[in-house]
Amino acid sequence: MHHDHDTPAGDLLVILRHAPHGSGWLREGLDVALVAAAFGGDVSLLFMGEGVTALVEDQAAGALDQKGTAPTLRMLEMYDIDTLWVEAEALARFGLSADELMLAPRVLQAEDSAELIRRHARVLTF
Amino acid sequence: MNLHIVNRSPASYRVHEQALAAMGPEDRLLLIEDGVQGALPALVRHFEAIPGRLFAQREDLESRGLLGRCDGEVQVVDVEGFVQLTEQAEQTLSWY
Amino acid sequence: MRYAILLMGAPYSDQASHSALRFARSVLARGHCLEAVFFYHDGVYNAARLAAPPQDEPHLTDGWVALCEQHDVALQVCIAAALRRGLMDEREAARHGKNGHSVEAPFELTGVGQLVDLSQRCDRLVTFGP
Repeated sequence: MHHDHDTPAGDLLVILRHAPHGSGWLREGLDVALVAAAFGGDVSLLFMGEGVTALVEDQAAGALDQKGTAPTLRMLEMYDIDTLWVEAEALARFGLSADELMLAPRVLQAEDSAELIRRHARVLTF
Repeated sequence: MNLHIVNRSPASYRVHEQALAAMGPEDRLLLIEDGVQGALPALVRHFEAIPGRLFAQREDLESRGLLGRCDGEVQVVDVEGFVQLTEQAEQTLSWY
Repeated sequence: MRYAILLMGAPYSDQASHSALRFARSVLARGHCLEAVFFYHDGVYNAARLAAPPQDEPHLTDGWVALCEQHDVALQVCIAAALRRGLMDEREAARHGKNGHSVEAPFELTGVGQLVDLSQRCDRLVTFGP
């Protein structure tokens, strides 16, 4: 096991692969991350695929004023969840760049995904 | 070594691409449910990056009439074999 | 080994519940300990007390109950996911002023913290999604 890589080791990695508003996956995945962090765990998030759109700025309430997930994401820092990754490939697919996203996520190159996962004792996919 | 479990068909979804992107050099991939469609010769090319590390669940192939149509590269395991794969892996990741 | 299962698919809508129950039985048959099944997302519908599938189909809710009775597998249902979907035990029904309840023992309503705890305590956590 080598430690020279810049991906920090952690207890739990929560992988979020769904967009806000369209389903409950993002909210329910974030709930697990928040609870794990409240328990004192070292939690990181990886936004994959459609999940990167969760970090787009200027989100608003949805149908029937459903509040969406942006307010929850803005609370992550209070829970000491400050390691956020976004997949480079997903950014490219959506034509987004990391510096226009909220919460200043770090960009994960495709070849580093397996290493990031390997460095976490537990990984949950939502 | 991690075990990745995919239950979606590569003919309709890109979920298998997420699993493949997350796989390390030793990791294994098990196709279950509609995912076993990926074991067909016409679709198995989606998994050509992981030779010798692709598995498919026998019961799900059988129930779909696909067992006899499975590509020779795919290792077929029954549900007990599924449990054994999870025993051998450090952890499992499900892609759905 | 100590196992836990995370089930997130609704019964009869997706194969996830059938796959998870089949896997659970095989885990036990191989001599492992299955500590708990955690029902989350649409998986909470597996706890519906009033489920009445046709007689020639497997009764998933009864299947889970049998696992609990015969092998002491805890059946933990995420309370937040359950309440949103109209699933509640007698206590929650009273608290919310509902006449009738849809979840009963051995299913227990519990928090996401239980899932986090299982993921830490068990050697393997296997997820079945829709």
